[in-house]
Amino acid sequence: MIVQTQYVTFERELKLHSGATLGPITLAYETYGTLNQDRSNAILICHAWSGDAHVAGYHTPDDPKPGWWDDAVGPGKAFDTDKYFIVCSNTIGGCSGSTGPASINPQTGRPYGLSFPIVTIPDMVEAQRWLMDHLGLSSWLTVTGGSMGGMQALQWAVSYPERTRSAIILAATAALSPQTIALNEVARQAIYADPNWNKGDYYGKTPPNAGLAVARMIGHITFLSDASMREKFGRRLKNEKFGYSFETEFEVESYLRYRGNAFTKRFDANAFLYLSKAMDYFDLAYGLPSLASAFRHITDTRFLVVSYTSDWLYPSWQSKELVRALLQNGLDATYVEIDSNYGHDAFLLEVDRLAEITRDFLKRVETTDWRVTVSI
Amino acid sequence: MASHRLDLEAIIDLIPPKARVLDLGCGDGLLLALLVQRRQVVARGVELVEANVRACIARGLSVRQGNIEEGLADYGDGVFDYVILSETLAYLDRPLPVCAEMLRVGKRAVISFDNAGHWAHRWRALRGGGTGHDLCSGEPRARSITLSQFAAFVACAGARIEQRVFVGGRGRIRRWPALFARIAVYVISRS
Repeated sequence: MIVQTQYVTFERELKLHSGATLGPITLAYETYGTLNQDRSNAILICHAWSGDAHVAGYHTPDDPKPGWWDDAVGPGKAFDTDKYFIVCSNTIGGCSGSTGPASINPQTGRPYGLSFPIVTIPDMVEAQRWLMDHLGLSSWLTVTGGSMGGMQALQWAVSYPERTRSAIILAATAALSPQTIALNEVARQAIYADPNWNKGDYYGKTPPNAGLAVARMIGHITFLSDASMREKFGRRLKNEKFGYSFETEFEVESYLRYRGNAFTKRFDANAFLYLSKAMDYFDLAYGLPSLASAFRHITDTRFLVVSYTSDWLYPSWQSKELVRALLQNGLDATYVEIDSNYGHDAFLLEVDRLAEITRDFLKRVETTDWRVTVSI
Repeated sequence: MASHRLDLEAIIDLIPPKARVLDLGCGDGLLLALLVQRRQVVARGVELVEANVRACIARGLSVRQGNIEEGLADYGDGVFDYVILSETLAYLDRPLPVCAEMLRVGKRAVISFDNAGHWAHRWRALRGGGTGHDLCSGEPRARSITLSQFAAFVACAGARIEQRVFVGGRGRIRRWPALFARIAVYVISRS
């Protein structure tokens, strides 16, 4: 499957949750499959922290790597491109083609850096809604995503329930736990501490790669689990014997260093900071008496919530709390806790069981009358 | 369809069309799917085992994975017409609070269980075979429940019995159910 990233620029300003405005806005997006006659088979996939619009397939015939969720998106896969018209766009605040802190600020002619306004999950969704209108779509059959992508899918159901027939929320939450905010803060501090960061003003100079690499290492630890680390690395050494030095000794160290360095080649440190703040601020119950009241305007959107047993970054109790809030509104919400050792990464890796569940769930969403109230 | 558990038909008969139904410990969703098919109910389920939950989703059902207690706590008061606890009472650690919760979220509770007072069970116990599952059976620990024990349970739950149906190997049992019912199905409500 060969795909091209497409771009659309909106020559207007988006009013952000913080009160600031952002514009013009460029969105990078990819589409897969064919939109049907009555435009009822469109699915939006929202990416996580380090993702981009390239969710599946290859950009060129000799592209070495497919998109970030190629295992789940494609012909005959969980999100079947033979049946559905699938859209994935890079979030605003990111660094993979959509407007973010590395983009040129039209006011100054220089990259935004820290003059880029704080964007939130609802702001990302609003920009995606512009794209939806641009593509001529009135509703999504489903909006889905894992982690930060799941937050966007939830926000879609809250902001535009009449345009969101269903939402598939994977390894996500209605608000980060203090533990996860704490880990985000440590990652940010690693970037701030790199002198090359220079308060975000490093474009055209040496970027804060050391800080970004450490930030990403912290991320990779939190995406795995105790069990998956034991399985993947054990205490295996790089060399046969201890070297009694500060060189990389253990395979797990080597993995983290490799992943950290590789990340600096494709990701912008400021974008990493902005996206981490967007996740920290996300809280559907913010300013409301309860989480349940966040869903009070929804009547017809069906929910599938999936968590993973070994995910300690977005633990199952958060998904259960979310499901409870949905059920208290009488909504149609299905919850599955997939038994997996892969930690938070499970949403990307446990594709077979996910495919089975999403296929069956989407069949029901497709075959039942949209706009017939299903709540109890 | 010959493999239906004996109580399923009896439960289906008790549920009126279009009722809002919650099935606790709904397994692979067979009962809920039959209720949707034959009674057009609005169905919700609670099930602990992931593979069963996936089977329910395959049947087009809306199910919440979790234990019965947390599943009940998800719902507001009186949102269901019927809350079903089918062949599960014997396995609950604390049946009284579960029963109270069932009658909080539902107007009525439907509870079915194996009658430990069936003559074959009594005969086995008399001959020294004990009660409940054999130790070698691989079944989890369960209580033995007789009809009179259940009636006492309903009383101490502050509920009343609205309807009772008794099922034997060849159909409904009307005489001497304490001895001849294999399975008892009760509809109870708050008194």
